[in-house]
Parts: sequence; structure tokens; C-alpha cells
Amino acid sequence: MKRKLPHPPRENHPALWRSFAELENTPEFAHVIEREFPGGTARNGSGLTKRDFVKLMGASVALTALTGCRRPEAQLVPFTKGVEWSVPGKFLYYATAMPIRGGAMPLVASTVDGRPTKLEGNPLHPASNGATDAFAQASVLDLYDPHRSRAVKRGGRDVLAGEFEAYLAQISEKRPDGLAFLVERKNSPTRDRLRGELEQRFPGLIWSEYEPLGDDREAVTAAFGPGVRLVPKFERADVILALDSDFLSSASEYGPAYAAGFYPRRNPDQLGAPMNRLYVVENHFTCTGGMADHRYRCKASLVGEFARRLATRIVDLTNHSGLATLLGAAPQTKADFDEKWIAECAADLARNPGRSLVLAGGQQPAWVQGLVFSINEALGNHGMTILGVADEAPPAAPLGRLVEAIRGGAVKTLFILGGNPAYNAPANFALRDLLTRVPEVVRVGLFEDETSAVSEWHVPAAHYLEAWGDARTFEGTYTAIQPMLMPLWGGVSELEVLARLGGNAQPSGLELVQQTYRILSGAASTDPKDAVFLQGWSEFLRNGFLPGSQATAKDLAFRATEVVRLAEAAAPVEAGIELVFLQSSSVDDGRYANNSWLQETPDFETKVTWDNVALVSPATAERLGIRANNFGLLQKVTALNHEVDFDMVADLITLNAGGVAIEAAAIVAPGHADDSISLALGYGRKGVSALFENVGFDAYPLRTSESPRFRTAISVSGTGRTYPLARTQEHKSMEGRDLFREATRERYKKNPKFVQSMGLVDAHNPPTTSLYEHPRLTAPEQWGMAIDLNTCIGCSACAVACQAENNVPVVGKAEVRRNRDMAWMRIDRYFAGSPENPEMLAQAMLCQHCENAPCESVCPVNATVHSEEGLNLMAYNRCIGTRYCANNCPWKVRRFNYFDYNQRPLEELYWGPLAPKGMADSLKMVKNPNVTVRMRGVMEKCTFCIQRIEEAKISRMVQAGPRNKYDVPVPKFQTACQQACPSDAIVFGNIADPKDRVTRLRQSDRGYVTLKYLNTQPRVTYLARIKNPNPAMPDAAMVGMANGPAGGHH
Amino acid sequence: MAEGTVISVEESARAAVERQPLVAPGRTMGWISDYVSSIVESQSPRWWWVAISITGSLTLLLLACLTYLVATGVGVWGNNHPVGWAWDITNFVFWIGIGHAGTLISAILFLTRQKWRTSINRAAEAMTLFAVICAAIYPTMHVGRVWMSWFLIPVPNANGIWQNFRSPLMWDGFAVLTYFLVSVLFWYTGLIPDLATLRDRATTKVRKFFYGILALGWRGGNRQWRHYEMAYLLLAGLSTPLVLSVHSVVSFDFAASVIPGWHTTIFPPYFVAGAIFGGFAMVLTILIPARAVYRPLGDLITVSHIDKMCKVLLFTGSIVGYAYLMEMFMAWYSGNPFERATFWYRVTGPYWWAYALMILCNVAMPQLLWFRFFRTHVIWVFVIAMFANVGMWFERFVIVATSLTRDFLPSSWGMFHPTWVDIATFAGTLGLFGTLFLLFIRFLPMVCMFEVKAVLPSANPNPGGKH
Repeated sequence: MKRKLPHPPRENHPALWRSFAELENTPEFAHVIEREFPGGTARNGSGLTKRDFVKLMGASVALTALTGCRRPEAQLVPFTKGVEWSVPGKFLYYATAMPIRGGAMPLVASTVDGRPTKLEGNPLHPASNGATDAFAQASVLDLYDPHRSRAVKRGGRDVLAGEFEAYLAQISEKRPDGLAFLVERKNSPTRDRLRGELEQRFPGLIWSEYEPLGDDREAVTAAFGPGVRLVPKFERADVILALDSDFLSSASEYGPAYAAGFYPRRNPDQLGAPMNRLYVVENHFTCTGGMADHRYRCKASLVGEFARRLATRIVDLTNHSGLATLLGAAPQTKADFDEKWIAECAADLARNPGRSLVLAGGQQPAWVQGLVFSINEALGNHGMTILGVADEAPPAAPLGRLVEAIRGGAVKTLFILGGNPAYNAPANFALRDLLTRVPEVVRVGLFEDETSAVSEWHVPAAHYLEAWGDARTFEGTYTAIQPMLMPLWGGVSELEVLARLGGNAQPSGLELVQQTYRILSGAASTDPKDAVFLQGWSEFLRNGFLPGSQATAKDLAFRATEVVRLAEAAAPVEAGIELVFLQSSSVDDGRYANNSWLQETPDFETKVTWDNVALVSPATAERLGIRANNFGLLQKVTALNHEVDFDMVADLITLNAGGVAIEAAAIVAPGHADDSISLALGYGRKGVSALFENVGFDAYPLRTSESPRFRTAISVSGTGRTYPLARTQEHKSMEGRDLFREATRERYKKNPKFVQSMGLVDAHNPPTTSLYEHPRLTAPEQWGMAIDLNTCIGCSACAVACQAENNVPVVGKAEVRRNRDMAWMRIDRYFAGSPENPEMLAQAMLCQHCENAPCESVCPVNATVHSEEGLNLMAYNRCIGTRYCANNCPWKVRRFNYFDYNQRPLEELYWGPLAPKGMADSLKMVKNPNVTVRMRGVMEKCTFCIQRIEEAKISRMVQAGPRNKYDVPVPKFQTACQQACPSDAIVFGNIADPKDRVTRLRQSDRGYVTLKYLNTQPRVTYLARIKNPNPAMPDAAMVGMANGPAGGHH
Repeated sequence: MAEGTVISVEESARAAVERQPLVAPGRTMGWISDYVSSIVESQSPRWWWVAISITGSLTLLLLACLTYLVATGVGVWGNNHPVGWAWDITNFVFWIGIGHAGTLISAILFLTRQKWRTSINRAAEAMTLFAVICAAIYPTMHVGRVWMSWFLIPVPNANGIWQNFRSPLMWDGFAVLTYFLVSVLFWYTGLIPDLATLRDRATTKVRKFFYGILALGWRGGNRQWRHYEMAYLLLAGLSTPLVLSVHSVVSFDFAASVIPGWHTTIFPPYFVAGAIFGGFAMVLTILIPARAVYRPLGDLITVSHIDKMCKVLLFTGSIVGYAYLMEMFMAWYSGNPFERATFWYRVTGPYWWAYALMILCNVAMPQLLWFRFFRTHVIWVFVIAMFANVGMWFERFVIVATSLTRDFLPSSWGMFHPTWVDIATFAGTLGLFGTLFLLFIRFLPMVCMFEVKAVLPSANPNPGGKH
């Protein structure tokens, strides 16, 4: 019998106390009891103490599990006593959400023994299809990051947390002038509510929001009036044109949600929903560009001019007067475009009025966005493929206004909640220097960073998995952010700080959110005795959202005159080389700089890890004298191959503009626009934590508030020095091997079985038979996977999900450079076509679970064997590490632990036993307890998430009870990669079941296995990519030609 | 005049047809015993101390490297993904190849009655054993968890897991172990009469004791000789298939895989020929300096011996060259684009220099041995043998490592860069090899005295007989 916990008494004074100090409950005393040894000897710096761990875990379980129905007492329940709601080793799932710029990503957190280990999308949520992106997958690692700040600091010295609380109380009471807030853009109704209260309490308060990579709302507000947000409906669009808009990847705020609308329309076999056509105009390869049917290379600064020329064509075709007026006002720039490309693209858009969709990147100048809105208006897309919804978030002052106020000396106390503006604010604001002029800067952040260095106060922030919160998703649904555990290092939440300033002396995040919930849900009270409230609140937490709380639809009333005004204010673009500021696919705007999972996730295009690099087109590189790292790439093997530069060293160049110079390593990027250099933001941070310091190059010094997307008139010079890069894939060409297969829709219709004629030896080889009789695979479940290359966008969410699920270690830059990355799942990226303007092919690669596996036959100790269910198993205990299996794997998906990556610090791997042993305690907490943490010297690889398979099989046995277990179907489950995939490109299931989706996909005409001629009988089927080119386009003949013009017949 | 001419022609023809004496004229049985034993019995010369301090230091370096390797992880070497095997297996195959000459000389040449083997077989066999010891270090130590290597041995265990007998690595282990054991037995059996000689000549108690133990009570009686010769014959018969099998099985490590450049049916004969080539090169590399140091040995290991070994070198080198050509031809003829790409890459890819070096050392240089001048000029022979040593190392590197750098998926292609530990470990095995050989020279008779005596003209019961 499990013991039920007694409910604690509800009095304000504790019934039991250990001293008078506790009874009085002063902050000093709280600090004293926080420490195991008040004398100050305890607490090693590296992690939690064991006592902390038990305390926190117990507390958090009590908190999270009880909150639905009880007052928010946090109980300390050590796991030495079993607790009724927790079965050791079993996951508990809680709905929560990750705040993202202007919204939230609905999540379900898997917690075990009170600690979250894995995040998945919340499939119940209307704004989610159950998918996530790489950032969400990796955010759980940030929670446990041992580099997170732990102590409240004032003037650089540790102070007690109570001192900060007293400080807040003092401000709240004295109501001083000159109070300002600088916060991240969120869409949190509770924060908005508290902000409203503060604005009443502190008249003249400045509330400023800054996001380095946020969408500029200026254009939307100008074009449609305030309080409106645009929601593109990709599922309704037949023709999509993306102008410098990477809407599919995480680079867009709602990547997974947009991908969910986009991918169903890419299925060539779907009846009733014809395949859409995607045109992309961009300067560098994005995920979206890789998916494009037609891609046009264009400098980011010329995208506006491109849109203007396109609009001219559309005016010719539609005679739309509003657009014509706007064109008269738009600035004209000299540029040499492929006019036929523009004309045919415009014609295709105009042929599909109300079913087309034109998107501009959120960082493009406001007039460009206005022009694009205008084009959509002319095409009749508003209300059809683009909907307007009410934007409840009250407007905030842009950073510029706050900067003016600081310059004017109007700001006396500045609260910086989250973000890192001293690092990432536009260079022309010189915010780091400005902050020193503010008498009191209070900074609440996860890390002690550049902003903390110039702040009077640094207060550790609570991670979103540690604190109560709420958010609206992009379509407005009210979403819960539940904490999974108590703050590991005493972080405070933004809401608590705001509430304290508002005069709440003992704020509880839970109560703050409950009050907002009450208002939004229309509940009468938040009294826990109120059954109606209680039921609704529990459901809210269980489902993670409030049903029916979507933002109300708003008609889009296009205000042409406002847009004309924007255009009139714009100037033509300067010629010369431009620098384009990208969102990093690894560290976003720099906020994940300390996340080793993301740092080691290769950039989808360059496959560079642990760095950002300046991307330059082949022609520009030649002109600037930048040596091509590993160029000469698209030659066939049959030609003399000069691809010898495998040392992964890049030239260092200097980028100079307006007297400011930065250095960056430059590599040649196929498909990049000429006279354009792309550099991701968020790197090159100095003076931060030890591990990720000096990684990459800081592009912020060249970025100004006028033009956040690009900087023109850059002068580039060489430094004569080189810089080492760690790339997981150097080779760019598929070498004619047809590993990735594609065709145009036309060709597919003509010859549905085209994949069978591709693949070098595969197509011509007679059917291979095995001389050796293999054991029959007899189990009723035979696991297999299908990967649809047509919808895979190469976003790497699956790879990070795999890392999180399977405890895949991080090896560090030096080891990646030695080709020792440990990824079980990787995205192979090839280019096909000319180096100037190739196609990009992304192929998810993982263990193929060959039925006739070459790795199994060569292992001398039987450490890798086959299961009756067709799984290629790895017995880590048995493995002695001969590495023969990895050598003999044609897909090279096996990974060897060359060092004790889990036990030794990455920078001291070569010190062997002299290095300290063991990982930070907090990092142990992120490990999936159902997956072995591998030691050095053993081989590892994808298991098809065998822990999930076994969990499902066990639950079937439980369900079956005394019956034959095979009469009960295995409960539905997904592999980690499949679950994370935003475009449903990965399907896993039982191939022995003819009704299973994976079986149907394996039998699809587009289905093929790679390297079929080896007769290894892979269990992973790829579905060929189908492109939908417009035959009238000038580049139509080059589309869908990755396998050569003959399509496989070599 | 005419008759005299006929006679002189006859004589010179006879001289040409007649075998060169295997031991220089004038060397008696007594001299052989005295001289060969004196090498062991005299004080260690100064050069020996210098040499062993160098090789001994390298051996210590080997120990240090292996300790570091096991304590830290295989990552201290340059191995990576996709190159799971690099210098470790290259060196293994290199050393095991060298270990072929000795047993070949002792066993196959014994069975085929090649009497010239007698003066070189002892040293060659010792070299074989030392090379196999060096070779065995690599597969044992290169695994990720050395302390679990016993999983490779089929002993009953609580796990109830048996070994995978489909794995060529298992066959490899058995083949090498068998070869080593039989070679040790063969070598030791051949040593017994000479050990008895040393025992009988010993002047100190210590020497008497140790050589006495090692000589196993050999007295040289008729019965003992009869038993000895039968045992030796049997062991020779046992060793002969092993000489051919061990490197064939080593080649299965590669041939049984699916990797282009490894998956090749020509490997077994190609590897055996290469091994004999490399082994003879190493025998020459060792004996030529030994001859130079112990000058009178030149009367036992004559230029004629060197000439004969050079012919073997030329023959096996040509087989190896043929195999290289045939690999290329088959890659083209198969029509398999993966095979073609791999071999084309060997010639033209970033490792072209390794391939070119291999061709130069193993195919081009031995061609000089067509000329008698080169075969009988010890300096040239030594240079050519050194080329062959280098070439055989690069042959293994080209096969083992460069095949892995580029296989099926271009996404996974990568390069291999050795670390200082790779280099130091290899240098260390060279040191161990040298140390063992130097100890061998000091403590055991380098030349098989009793067998050499048997090929002296004075041992011939029918002297002057032409039949």
C-alpha cells in the first residue's frame, strides 16, 4: 500500500518550526536553510548536492501533480518513500508550452521521477500537429545547464535572494520615476495583465520589447491597422512565392505549424489536393529554398526590387489600381534579373487568384513587406490564403524609443527581463555603453552574460520548465506553461518579478496564471472549492490549452495609402557587396549558445558545427580571392578529383562597414547569390561561460536598427589567416549514386515506377538472392520505417529529438573535426546541378535495420544481432569495440565511443584518467532512464527507439491480461524522430500489418531502398521526391534532375 | 687447341650448372660450432648495447602508448568515422605479413629439400615469431574495451553467449594463434640440438643451468636424432598449410566485407604473395646488417643465399604487381560503379601518393632484381628490401584505411590523419621487434649449426659425386 501524503495545514505560520528565525521567516534565514552547511563550506560549484536533488525532485513532483486540484503548497517528498502518483521508471506526461517570439510552442513534457527529460509537441493543441523543432527539443538541456547562473548578484557580489525581494518591495512602495522594462517578445496574457497593473502603478513607465529576429510588426500595423495579425493558410495555397522568407524552418517563428499546413499539399498521390508549387527567392540556401520547385538567387537587399518588378507584371495581368499606385511610389534600383523568371512566376500567381500566397521575410524593410501585402491584395489572397486575426498583445515601445529615453536620462531603473540586449541590440544604439548610464539596471536572465556585466543586479531566471506561465499560440489559443520542477538554482520567473513590483509581497506564479485563466475562461473565481473552476482548470492543465480561445478572425482591411507612405520613405539600395544577417539554425539569435546539443547539430546547409561561417557564392569567392574549402565538388568520380582539402580549414576574411570591422571564416556555398555574404547571428560571444566562449564570429556589430536583415556596401578583405571548421559532411555531390531520387510530377505521372530505373547497379542488377539461409523473422510485429523525401525539409528536428531521447553524447568541436560526431540520425545533404544554382537534397539517414545486415555477420562476439522483429540490435554490454561493424556498414551510421564522452570533460578527453571523472549532476538529470548511457569503447547506433517499442509491447501485455497477447494490437507509439518531424516525413510501424501506414508507403510507387544491389534488405524505405515545376519557367528543365537528365539511366 | 677449348667449355659449363657451395670453402664443422657459439658466448659488443638501448627505449615508448591508449580510449589514435580501422590494422597486417618468411623458409623449403635454407632459417623463424608478437599487439589492444577481449575466446560463461563464428575476426584470431603456436614449436624443436651444443660448451653455472633446461636432455643419440627428424618433418608438414592459410584468413577480414576495395576474391593469394614478399624483404633487412657486423657469417650466409632470396622477392613482387593490375581490371570489368570509383580514387584521390609509393616500392623497385648485379650487390639488395618494407606497409594502408575513407555514401566520406600516438605506437613495435631480435642474437645461436654442418661438403658421404 502506498502511503497517502497528509495535506499540510493552511495557516500562514508554519505549524512546525525549527527556530524562531524560521517562525519569523526572514529572508536571511531562508538563505541560511537553503544551504546545507550554513558556515559556507559546502556546495561544490559543479552541480546540485544530492540533498538538493532529492529535495527538489520531491517538491516538484508534489507541486506538478497536485496543482490541478489543490492549493499550491509544495511538499517535500523524498523518494525514499514511494509516492502514490509516481511509479518508478514510468513517465508522467504534463502539458506545457515553450515561449517563443510572439507565441508559444505547445508541448508535452515527459517527466520521470520528477525531472523532465524529453519534450514533444502537444497533439491535442489546435496550433500543433504534435511536432516540434530542434530548439524545443534542445531546450530541456538548457534547463539542466550547469553553466546557468545560480546566485543573485549586486554589483558583482553574491547577495541573498531576500535582498532582491526587499529591493523590489522598496520600488513597489516608493514608486520612483523613470522605471523602464526591456523584455523579450512574448504573448503572455498574464504578463500583459501584470504590465497593465504596473502601468497604472507607475505612470510614465516605458515598456519596451526587443527581439533581434522578431517579425517587424510595423508593416502589418501600417497595412491593416493595429491589433491585427496575419495567419497564412498554406493548405489553401496552390502557388506560393516566398521572398527571403524561410517559413518552413525554425527560422520562422512558427516553423512546425507552418510546415504542418504546407506538407499535405506536397503529396503527388493525394487525390483532391493538387500539389502546390513553391517559388523561393533568397540569397542563401534555406530549408524552404531546398524545398522550392523554382528557386531564384537574389541578394537580400534586392528582394524589394524583385518584388517591385514582380508587382509590375502582376499589375499588367490584373490591372489592380492600388498596386499600380504603390509601384509609382516604390524606390527603383538597378538590378539585372531574369525577367522571364519574374514574368512566368507572376503569370502563375495571377492564374491562381485567391489560391496563391506571397510571403516576405519578416526582417525585410517595411516597404517591401507592404508591397507584398499589396500584391496579395491584388491577387485576392486576403481572406483566402491569408487570414487576419485579432492580436491581443498590447503594443510595446520599440527598442529605439527606450534608447532615446536612456539617452535623455529619463530612465532611472531599468528591468531587463530575459534576452541579452547588451549583446544583440542593433549596433547603432551602442546599448552596452548606454546601460552604464542608467543608475540601476536589474537583469533577470538564465546566464550571466554581456548584459549582466553592465547591470547592477543580476538575478537568475527560472527556466520555462521551472515556473508557471501562460501564452497565446500564433492563432491565439490560450496555452498553459506548467513547471515540471522547482527552480534548480533558485531562479525567479518574470511574472514573479512583475507581481512583486506590483505590490504582491508573496507572489505565486500559479495564482497569477490562475487569475488570468479566470478572466479568460469566464470562471467566477479561483477558489479551489469552486468545482466549476476546479474542473476547468484541471482540464486546462491536462490539455494544455483553453478550448475555443482562438483569436477572433478579423477582416483584413488593406490600407493602401499607408503602404504608399512606407514606400515613399524608402530609398534605393546601394550597390556593392551586402552582408545578410541570418538566424542561426543552431543558436537562434545567440540564446542557445550554451546548448551543446544545438551547437553540435550541423547547420542544414553547410554541415558546420560549433561555428557560424560567412557564406559566399562561388563566383564572388573567386572574385574576392576566398579559397574554396573543398570545392570542385560537383565533379563525377570519373573525372580527376581535386577534392583534397579535407582539413576543413576556411579563409578568415574581414568585413568592414562604416568603420566597424568584423572577422569571419568564409566558405563557398553553392546556390548563394553573388555579391552577397551571409553570416548567422548569435556567435562570437566573449566573456560568457567557459565552454562556448569564442565560438564563431559576432555579426551584431555590423547590424543596425534601420536594416536588420542586411547591410549594404560592405568592403571585404582577406586576412591571410585561416580558421579551423568542424563539418560533419564535406562532400557535396552525390557522385551520381542515386541515393536520393527525384523526378518531376510530369515524369512521375508518365512513369510512376521511375525510381526502379534509378540507382546505378540497382536498376540493372538481376534480382539478388542469398546463398546463405537466414533465420526466418517470425514475430508478428516487423518494424520498418518510411521516409518521405518529398516532405522532409531537412530541419534537423529529428536529429535533436534522437539525441534527447537516446542520450546521444556531445563530443565537442575538436572531436567533430576528427570525424567523431555521435549522431545516430543525421541529415545527409547533397547538391545537384551547377555549383552556381544547384538543387539541395536533404536525406535523413539512420540505421537501415537491414534484414541481412552486414554489420551482424562480422561482429566476432555477437554484440550486434537481429531480433525476430527485424530489429538490428546492439548489446552494449557485449560489445568490445572492434569497430568492424562500423567499417562494414555501407551507410556508415554506426558510431563508436572513441572516448568516455559521458564521463570526462570534453576539453580534457585526451587527459584520460588524469581528467576529473563524472558528469555534472544536473546533466545526469536530462538522461532518458530507459536508454543505457554508453561508455567508451562501445559501438552505438539507431535502435528504432527500442525502449518505446518495448514499452508499447509491455503495455499490450498488461492490456491482454490472461488473453493471448497477440490478440491485442500493440498500442500506438512513435519513434522520437517521427514524433518530432513537423512534416510527417518519417513513418514508423509494423510492416507485417498490411493495414499499417508504413506498409502502404513501402509499397508506394515512389518507394525505394538505397544500395539495393547489396541485398542487405534494408527496413528503411525512402519515398522519392517529386518536384512540381512550371514548364514555362526558364529553369524548368533543371528542376527534378538530381539523378541526371536521363533519370538514372547512366 | 680444339680439344683444350672443348675441355674448358665443358668445365665452365659444369661450373655453371654445379651448385655453388652453400658454405664458403674452407669452413669446417668445428669452425661453424666455434664461431656461431662464440657470438653467444662472448661479451656483448658495444654496438649491441647502443642498439638495444635505442630499441629498448622504443619498447618502453610502446608500453607507455598502450597504457595511454587503454587508459584513455581509442580516440588517442586518429581513427574516426568512417575510418574505423587505420594504422592499427595496417600495422597488424604488416607485421603478420613479415611473419611469413620464417616458417616458409623452415617448412616449405624443408619439404622441398632446398638446402640453402639452413643458414638462414633460424634467424628467419625468430623474426617470424617476433613479428607475430608485434602483430598480435594490435588486434588485442585496438578494441574499445580491452578488458573485455576475453569475450573473443570461446569459454563457457554465465552469459550463455557464444562467439559469432561467421565473423572473419574469429577465424583471424584462431589462424594467428595457431600459426604462432606451431611456429614456436617448430622453432624450438629446431633449436634443441644447438641448445645442447651451447650447454656442452657452457663454462658458467648459470649458462649450464639454463641451456641445460632448454636443451631438454638432448644427448645426440641415434634414437633421439630419429625422433627429432620425424618430429621436425611432422611440424614442417603442419606449418606448411598454415603459412598459406594465416594470411588468407587475414585477408578474409577484408574480403568477407561489403566495402568496395575490400570485397575482393583475389585477396587470399594476393595477400599470401605479399606476405612472402614482405617477409623475405625483412629477412634481408635483418641478415644483411648481421652479416656486416659478424663478418665471418658471410661464409655461411653467402651472396648466393642473398641471390636466391632476391629471386623469391622478384617472383612474389611480380605476383603482387599482377594482383594490383588485376584489381584495377576487375574494378573496371565488373561494371560496378562503386568498385570503379574506389579504385579510381586510390589512384587519383587525396591518397594517390600512398598508392604511387606502393607501386614504386613493390612493383617497380623489385624489377631491378632481374639483373644479377643487383641481386649480388648487398647494398643494393638492402636498399631494395627497405623499399619493399615501406611498400608493403603502404599496401596495407591503402587497402585498410583508404578504402574506408570513401565508400558508398559520399556524405560519410572523410580522411584519416594519424596522431602522435599512432606514430609512437608503430615506432614502439619496431623497437620491440628490434629488442627481441637483439636478445635473440645474444642468447641463441643465430645460425642453425647442425643443419649447416649437414650441407658442408665434408658431410657428404659421396664427395665429388656428380649425381
